[in-house]
Amino acid sequence: MKKYFLLIVSLAIFSVSKAQNADCACFMKGIVRDQHSGQPIIGATVLLEGTTSGVFTDEKGRYEIRNLCPGRYKLEARIVGYNTYRQSIDLTEGHEENFSLEEQEVHLKDVEITAHRTDAPASQPLAILSGNDLEKTRGQSLGESLKGITGVTTMQTGSSISKPVIHGLHSNRVLIMNNGVRQEGQQWGSEHAPEIDPFVATRMSVIKGAAGVRYGSDAIGGVILVEPEELPFNKPLSGEVNMVGFSNGRQGVVSSTLQGGIKGVSGFGWRAQGTIKRGGNIKTPDYFLDNTGISEKNFSLGAGYRNKGFGIDLFYSRFDTKIGIFSGSHIGSITDLLNVINNGEPFIKSGFTYNIGRPNQNVTHDLLKAEAHYHFNDGNRLQWTIAQQINNRNEYDLHVPRNDSIASLNHPELTFKLNTLTNDVIWDHKPIAGKVTGQIGVSSLYQYNLMSGRPLIPNFNQFNIGIFWIERYVKNNWELEAGGRYDYRTLSTHRIVSRQKVSNDFTFSNASGTIGATRNFSQRISARLNAGSAWRAPNVSELFSDGVHHGAAAFERGDSTLRPEKAVNTIASVKYQSERLTIEIGGYFNYLRDFIYLKPQPDPILTVRGAFPYFKYTQTDATFKGIDFSADWELIKHLTLTTKLSYLKAYDTRNDNYLVMIPSNRWDNQLKYSIPELGKWHNLFVSGGNLWVARQKRVPPNSDFSPPPASYSLWNIQAGGTIHVSEKQQLEIGISVTNLFDTVYRDYMNRFRYYSDDIGRNASLRIKWKFGS
Amino acid sequence: MTWMLLIAVTTLFTQCKDSADEVEVDDENELITSVTLTFTEVGTGTVTKFAYKDPDGDGGNAPTKFDTISLKANASYTLTPEFLDESKTPVDNITGEIKEKDFEHLLIYTPSPASLFTYTYGDKDSNNYPVGLTGTVKAGAAGTGKLKVQLRHQPNAKNGTATPGTDDVNLDFNLMIK
Repeated sequence: MKKYFLLIVSLAIFSVSKAQNADCACFMKGIVRDQHSGQPIIGATVLLEGTTSGVFTDEKGRYEIRNLCPGRYKLEARIVGYNTYRQSIDLTEGHEENFSLEEQEVHLKDVEITAHRTDAPASQPLAILSGNDLEKTRGQSLGESLKGITGVTTMQTGSSISKPVIHGLHSNRVLIMNNGVRQEGQQWGSEHAPEIDPFVATRMSVIKGAAGVRYGSDAIGGVILVEPEELPFNKPLSGEVNMVGFSNGRQGVVSSTLQGGIKGVSGFGWRAQGTIKRGGNIKTPDYFLDNTGISEKNFSLGAGYRNKGFGIDLFYSRFDTKIGIFSGSHIGSITDLLNVINNGEPFIKSGFTYNIGRPNQNVTHDLLKAEAHYHFNDGNRLQWTIAQQINNRNEYDLHVPRNDSIASLNHPELTFKLNTLTNDVIWDHKPIAGKVTGQIGVSSLYQYNLMSGRPLIPNFNQFNIGIFWIERYVKNNWELEAGGRYDYRTLSTHRIVSRQKVSNDFTFSNASGTIGATRNFSQRISARLNAGSAWRAPNVSELFSDGVHHGAAAFERGDSTLRPEKAVNTIASVKYQSERLTIEIGGYFNYLRDFIYLKPQPDPILTVRGAFPYFKYTQTDATFKGIDFSADWELIKHLTLTTKLSYLKAYDTRNDNYLVMIPSNRWDNQLKYSIPELGKWHNLFVSGGNLWVARQKRVPPNSDFSPPPASYSLWNIQAGGTIHVSEKQQLEIGISVTNLFDTVYRDYMNRFRYYSDDIGRNASLRIKWKFGS
Repeated sequence: MTWMLLIAVTTLFTQCKDSADEVEVDDENELITSVTLTFTEVGTGTVTKFAYKDPDGDGGNAPTKFDTISLKANASYTLTPEFLDESKTPVDNITGEIKEKDFEHLLIYTPSPASLFTYTYGDKDSNNYPVGLTGTVKAGAAGTGKLKVQLRHQPNAKNGTATPGTDDVNLDFNLMIK
């Protein structure tokens, strides 16, 4: 609910040595300062890895570490609310030459630290996608981009609609914070992808596990933070142009950014960004998929002002997409579905075209945000964010109305208009005794939904208010945190039943808590443990669905007596880090009380299109337990093996059964050879890898029209590098091929697995031109 | 910051809209709530009608009527189906719309066991493919079984076979020949 911001801390590092005692008389000292306010930060921890203990910055933000021997050190600065910052410092003989024998302080260099402020609980695993790793995903959708993170998978509807899944949970159980504002689209739908252009972000983070205290409802499986870079205050004009081409779907993506300060006016920064994407029919190894094109036009504008402790940011973004839905996935009855499953491939054959016909989705999402903050001289900080989002979703069915005059109007068969206002006030209190910091916040949300067309969900008005308080205590190698939250929500729904307007009112309330600890055992080993809770009120589709879900060939009925779903998640992780080997292993146990799911009912429901299996939204208790393992191992110089393993087991403990639509286990291996410098080239690399996805064997018996697909193994290759064209211009080039051997496969989490194979080989070329900085 | 507060409050109030004021009646363009099969006996001219009715469409209340088709053994009938959307006012006559777009619709009548009757199409669309809005039924010997009635919607794909397109209607009537 709040914008992250960048903070520039400047650390000045000094070294002094005496002729008589050149061994261990170096010291480092400096000031940790907030760039926005210019105020010193009190109580920040500054550590040197490998030394006994760290120091805290004093009331003037100063720190000093004495009696250092010459050598290489890793400096670590930890500030509450900011990610840990690490920097290598060289205090070797090379520098000593510069020191005269006189006793004086020699200025080595100024280190600019850019620390990202994240509100994520420090004891919860946070996976970050930025820099090169993010660049490699450019051109893909948000869900696809995050797929590389251990424990994160996707739920797909064909190849163009993909939703992120964290530890087996998705849709309304994963919260997305878009530029500090909770994304409010129509998340409940499995075919409703997040309405966010990944090019807006320079950093995407995934908080794994329940984080309901800080972020409020829906943060059951985890939270995705989509964050742009800090505005370039007082900086010269700069920008970048990204161009990505994909062979499959002959898709092209162009995205540009232009940004800078205002010359002669201090404290201003602005940014303009836009993306155009166009793609045609996707090809599986053996055939094209009819009507799977995509067209997207997005832009965003940002501007901000900083003056001493005061700052204000304005942001507007528009996301506009038109996605073709594979026409072979349209069925009228169970007979149609069984016929296409038995046929093994779609009946509809197609060639390549960019045209997007019916069925399709046309979605726009507008976000307008204003954020203001003020740092008080005494260390308190107040932040206020207000935002409005307008989500407009139009769905066009395969068939136009039979009546020509109505058909000629070309109205969507289904329209949703969701309007959301959010308001967040957060107060970071000044450190108490230099050790305890924390924040208190109030968040409110008001939204209404208007719907027309095919009956699906009712109109509704919703209001939510939440208040939270989190405190963090940092001492030596321990970091402890605890927090609590209370939410209150009202929901009014309005729908037509038998030509009469029927209104229903609901109120939901919930208390959540979090407690966690982080411990650095040595410079190489650290561990974290967190127990957190989160909740989610039943959404309108779970309360009021009543009809055939054609994508799933199921008759789904809601239940207006559903209670909120609650999760208690325990997550522990251990990290080992040395120069050539990094290993991180994490285990989680997520217990969901009153987990809402579709329970198969004994008798089918008869409709004019025949009988459909009948499912009713019901509550049970479920456990999601799993292990995320990742390792980076530099086998020989420049050659690194990265391995990532995700294991998940979900179980319905009340009914003693498995759950449907749970991602299967997977193992991803990449071998990368890097060449740091080669003539004009920098950061050159060649890599190749394999993703192995197991068959989902843990499914309830007789729960599906066709059994979960077989396991599959996909190979990929990449290469890339950067050329510095001039001092202020650089060109980054990357090529990659996914599904290298054009393997035929289907994925359990792709809802179109009944109808067609998954996407075939896809080669891409990525060019990024950066200028001005 | 005061001005921002003002803007925020103003936006909040102007945006506060009651979604209850804008509830729209459901509009499902492909809805069929009633299927009536009219059998006219050749010779006697006796008319019998058998129907499936679900006036509020899928969901809500269960279908109100699902007749058993009863025919005389070895008799011949002309069969004309009628499709209505009775959830609309006035009632939407889908049969007429099918006739208008007969080149993208196909009716299929499948008795099981197949010996219960034989169906012969009595109409053709502009591409010379059968439609099934009128046809003849020759009942077989006495027996019971099912009659599957399918309305296939086959835009730009109709080729005279059942394969293309999707079901707009797929009903299994009980069938009795006596």
